[in-house]
Order: sequence, then structure tokens, then C-alpha cells
Amino acid sequence: MSLYQLQKFIYHVNRDAAQRERYRQDPAAFIKGYELTDAEARAALDVNVRALYSMGVHSLLLRPFTLLHKLSNEDYAKALKNLE
Amino acid sequence: MPIVFAGAASHAPGMTAWTEAAPKQQADAFLGDYRKLGLRLAASNPDVIVALTVEHWANFFLNNMPAFCIGRADHYDGPIEEWLRIPKARLRGDAILAAQLLDACLDGGFDPTFSDELLLDHATFLPLHFLNPGMAVPVVPVILNALTPPMPTARRCFAFGQVVGKFLQKNSKRIAIIATGGLSHWPGEAQHGTINIRFDQQFLENLIKGDYAKLTAYSHEEIHREAGSGGHEIRTWIALAGAVEGWKAELLAYEPVVPWATGCGLVEFHQ
Repeated sequence: MSLYQLQKFIYHVNRDAAQRERYRQDPAAFIKGYELTDAEARAALDVNVRALYSMGVHSLLLRPFTLLHKLSNEDYAKALKNLE
Repeated sequence: MPIVFAGAASHAPGMTAWTEAAPKQQADAFLGDYRKLGLRLAASNPDVIVALTVEHWANFFLNNMPAFCIGRADHYDGPIEEWLRIPKARLRGDAILAAQLLDACLDGGFDPTFSDELLLDHATFLPLHFLNPGMAVPVVPVILNALTPPMPTARRCFAFGQVVGKFLQKNSKRIAIIATGGLSHWPGEAQHGTINIRFDQQFLENLIKGDYAKLTAYSHEEIHREAGSGGHEIRTWIALAGAVEGWKAELLAYEPVVPWATGCGLVEFHQ
């Protein structure tokens, strides 16, 4: 579990235009710069909202990250359905 | 001159970004009251606005998260959100007042961090859009951590406000002080869209009654459970109550706006 690294990755993509561009060009290569478990890396690369949320990613990091991936409010809500 | 205006307001991004998603009558009424609060602020003819505000991962991350941070820059750019439908602007700061405020905090038993470069997001730009049209009045942002635990307690926020208010009351400038955030909302969470009207109304009642014992007794757990992760922003309102201790709060508006997913409040304090 490396929630700090996972959130750091998302924070960089959300907030730093240069890093966002590097991420967009090659997500798999970009994510190697962070110390993530296989499950975390997979959830991040798949933009698996439910998994990332369940891992504890802060909602105000996660929602902007999913907006970058054009996820609608409805699909975001659907991904979190029946979670605490 | 002392504090010439004090008010608190919610900053739900939907107010500008998806205004029309809300029932027209409700949106028009609330935003009309928001502008009315802005006219009252303008009528007080302030030299500077001190904004007790929060942020949402705009400047700070988990490598260094201040409980309180005072902006000491000459200017601030924002809003950082492309989708907010608020024009980007460079907002004048007041580095001199900010430096004096820092000294006053240190003398008063608080050790806030300071920053000579802050980016402002909707938390600050949205209220200023309504309260400071054209971004005409310079601003000193004071950021409270209402984002990620551990956060300063309600009691500590109130006491921080007392120190800030005591200093501002003795300043030679005409100062408007605002608080922004809340009330109940669960942004980006599984409970997104929930509004706890009962909690919001009780909080506003405590504010209006000037019940400082209740305002300072809110625990992190209670706020989190009853008002959501976004509800933690009521800390700025509690700090403002401390800054203008003894002033009477007037409720201008409270609307639980479901499409904006937030219990939206507007309050002005009177001497």
C-alpha cells in the first residue's frame, strides 16, 4: 500500500501541465516514476474510479483526475454506487 | 480604521460552472442575495479584503500541509479551474498587511506558515466574483486546512480568528473580512449530492445566536459524519466568528441546492 505515492501521481497529473503532457504521451512509462504496488498501478492506468476511491485516494484529487479523462458526473456516481 | 465589513459565504462551483442545473428561482434568489452581500461589502468602502479561505490541492500536498497559511504576495492568479466560468484574473495582494498580520499571529500565540506565491481556486475566486466584482479590491488570502486531516480544531480556528480580528481592528486600513466554504457537502464522494439541512440550520442558528460554546465544540468526527468532507470548511466561518466576536450574525440566505450538491449559506455580521 503506497497511498502517498498514488496520490502524488494524481496530484502531479492534475496540477502540473508539463507532467500531465508526459503522462498523456505514455501513461505506463510515466507511472514508473512512482513507487506503486501492481494493484495501484493497474487501477491508475485503468482509471478505475471505484478501486482508486476504495484505496483511499482523496475525492478532490480523484474527481479532477477523472474529469481529465472526461468522466461524466453520472458515470462517476455510478462507479461509486453502494460504497460507504 | 477597524473591520468595516464581515461576511461568510459558500463557494459551490456549480454556482457559476453549472448555474442553470439548479431550479431557476432558487438559483436566482441565492445568487441575487450573493450580489446583495457584494453591494454591502462595496458600500463599506474597504481598502483590502482578508479572505479566510481553503484550498483543494491547488498549492499544498501531503508533503507539506499547513494548518494556517497567510498569503504575502503582491498578486495572485486564478481561478485554476478552466471550467469554472469565471474569467482568469490577476488579483492584487497586500504584502504589507499580510506581513503585519503574520507578526500579529506570532505575537498572539499562532505560527502560521506564509507564502509569497499562491494560486487561488474556486474557494477564493468564486466568492470574490460576487463580493469583489472586477477584482477591484486587493486581497490577503488566509488558508485554513479544511482539506485533509489532521485539521485545526474548531476551537483553534475560533482562537486564530480572535487573534486575526484583534489585529485587524487596530489597523489603519479599512478592512473587509470574509469566510468561504461549507456548508454540508460531500464533493466527489460516494455520498455526493447529500445535503444535511438539519446540520446546516443548527450551525447557522449557533452562529446567529453567537453561541461560541457550541461553535467551538464541533469535533472533526461530528463535522465529517454530519456535514461531509466539504463541511470541514465551516472552520473558516468559525474563525470569522472569532474575528468579529460579539458581532451579530444576520442570515441573508440558506438554500440546499441539490444540483450544486451543497447547503449554500450567506451571512453578514454586524457590529
